[in-house]
Amino acid sequence: MILQTALLAVLVALSVLAIALKDLLRSAIALALASLVLGIVFFRMGAPYAGVFEISVVAGLITVLFILTIALTKSGDEVRESKLANIVFPVVFVAFLAIDALVMKRLMGKVPALARGGEAGTFGEVLWKGRTLDLVGQIAVILAGVFAVLALFRQRDKHE
Amino acid sequence: MIILFVVLPLVVAGLLPLAGKASKRLLPDLLANATLLFLVAYAAVAGRALIADGPVLQQTTWLGEALGIRLVLDGFSLFMLVVVALVGLAASLFSIDYMEHYGAKGNFYALYLVMIAGMNGLVLASDLFAVYVFLEVAAVASYALVAYGLGRDELEAAFKYLMLSVVASAFLVGGIAVVYGMTGGLDFAAVAMALKELNAGPALAVASALFLLGFGLKAALIPFHAWLPDAHPSAPAPISAVLSGLLIKVSGVYALTRVFLNVFGLTPALSTVLLWLGAVSAVAAAFLALGQKDIKRMLAYSSISQVGYVVLAIGVGTPLGIAGGLFHLFNHALAKGLLFLTSGSVQRATGTRDLDAMGGLAKRMPVTAATNLVGALSIAGVPPLNGFWSKLIIIVALVQAGHPVFAAVAVLASVLTLWYYLLMQRKAFFGRLNETWAAVREAPFWMTASTVLLALLCVGIGILFASTVTTWVRPAADVLADGIHAVAGSWGF
Repeated sequence: MILQTALLAVLVALSVLAIALKDLLRSAIALALASLVLGIVFFRMGAPYAGVFEISVVAGLITVLFILTIALTKSGDEVRESKLANIVFPVVFVAFLAIDALVMKRLMGKVPALARGGEAGTFGEVLWKGRTLDLVGQIAVILAGVFAVLALFRQRDKHE
Repeated sequence: MIILFVVLPLVVAGLLPLAGKASKRLLPDLLANATLLFLVAYAAVAGRALIADGPVLQQTTWLGEALGIRLVLDGFSLFMLVVVALVGLAASLFSIDYMEHYGAKGNFYALYLVMIAGMNGLVLASDLFAVYVFLEVAAVASYALVAYGLGRDELEAAFKYLMLSVVASAFLVGGIAVVYGMTGGLDFAAVAMALKELNAGPALAVASALFLLGFGLKAALIPFHAWLPDAHPSAPAPISAVLSGLLIKVSGVYALTRVFLNVFGLTPALSTVLLWLGAVSAVAAAFLALGQKDIKRMLAYSSISQVGYVVLAIGVGTPLGIAGGLFHLFNHALAKGLLFLTSGSVQRATGTRDLDAMGGLAKRMPVTAATNLVGALSIAGVPPLNGFWSKLIIIVALVQAGHPVFAAVAVLASVLTLWYYLLMQRKAFFGRLNETWAAVREAPFWMTASTVLLALLCVGIGILFASTVTTWVRPAADVLADGIHAVAGSWGF
């Protein structure tokens, strides 16, 4: 329980860092570490597949993509950011933590039958036999992503 | 073969970039429009026969083995499919001429058809997670379509839209997780039955709040509307028409009503929340629309207002209220689609969206002016156009259900709507012709043809409103009015 709480606290701290850090590269690494911790939490809670995907895809692949993209950018003009975020974010964050601590534990205690899997079977069975429609959706999302890249990077120099 | 509604646009979308390489214009135009024409015909002609004996449950098989693709077609989903196909076709016909100067037409239609497939998939899905997946399909395609012009405004609007959409998705996934935790299932039927037995008040309230935030953001109800007045005007006109006419309704209103009425069951508390959200959106957005100078921004605020109208009517929860709400959804999809298309014609001809800079355009663009007037009067609820009948049904339903104050609010919103639309019509089309526009000419054939098609539908449905209601709206409203019984009893696979 203590380890779990500590892991969750680290997860939240790393996520905050990912938002708060001004350096994009550090921010991306903080995010990768956060998903690594999340992957460990998944493992500990008995969801190995979710853990594997979280670590391999989110912490691994997506981080590589982020870093590649950041490497392709040039340092240009300083972007002036609103100072308001520096005040609003901590206030909202603290309020969120307070609400979380006060309400969620009691509320979750009232959720009946939590942590009972509805669909049985191996990962492959669930994915191919149980959730095939989601795969169709996934294909559609990938298609949309590819077409979006093709569309948004067409005749780029004309607009630069 | 109801899976065709999802698979056909996806397959054609996959072919379109290749078709675009072979022929820059003709082939993409032909393929995309033929696909949508087929979907209109299939939904409108074959659909009714399919659901004659109750909802169709389709379990797809592959080489004799059952796959996990379970789709359901009932009165409500068929109604939405018809709306999506009709407005989708009109906007796609408009694109033949309008998207000419944007370039990469094959790509444009590919994204467009993926968005249509996403909406169709969402409407046919029979479980909560599939709803989320297809909502994302439509959303991802729409981000790129909003940014299609690649200008600074477009990119900024698309980014803002993306950010708020992601927040909405996060709420939805949270809600789905809570429901899955409670019931151990995602299937509409399984969840509805499990929730009935569980009696899980507080946890269900949390799930409802999360869904309300998520779908509220997608439907752009006030106070979740901030992204819409930027995203919808910045997109190319046919995309604005589809976003305002269809997407906020499918991924906002359809999903919200399906989940709340058919899966969770409409409680009095929820009904009150919907009534208030609807009423505030209908009136506040109408006031905001009044102050707009940008023609498309005015239309965008009007969309928020009219979606508020629909939610207000569905919040009543009576069969008449639901029927009125759905009928208004249909009418608004046609009329708002029409108005965004005419605004696109005006913008293309004059190069501006500023109402103050226009004036007297009716002399140069008579067909566009006339169709715009039909759309404006229809949304404002002027008889005998279609919008009048749906608003009348909504107001009668509100009075019958004992909500005279909300009925008065609905009338007020209607008056405001008429006010800003007349303002728009006068500033853009009536009066003396602004000399700057002396050389302006009527929009090209396909742009005019698609607006005429939608205007004729507005007039035709207004005249034949009774048969439209009995043929299309009533079966849909019956499904919703049945509450969880519509799903729990007959949707088991």
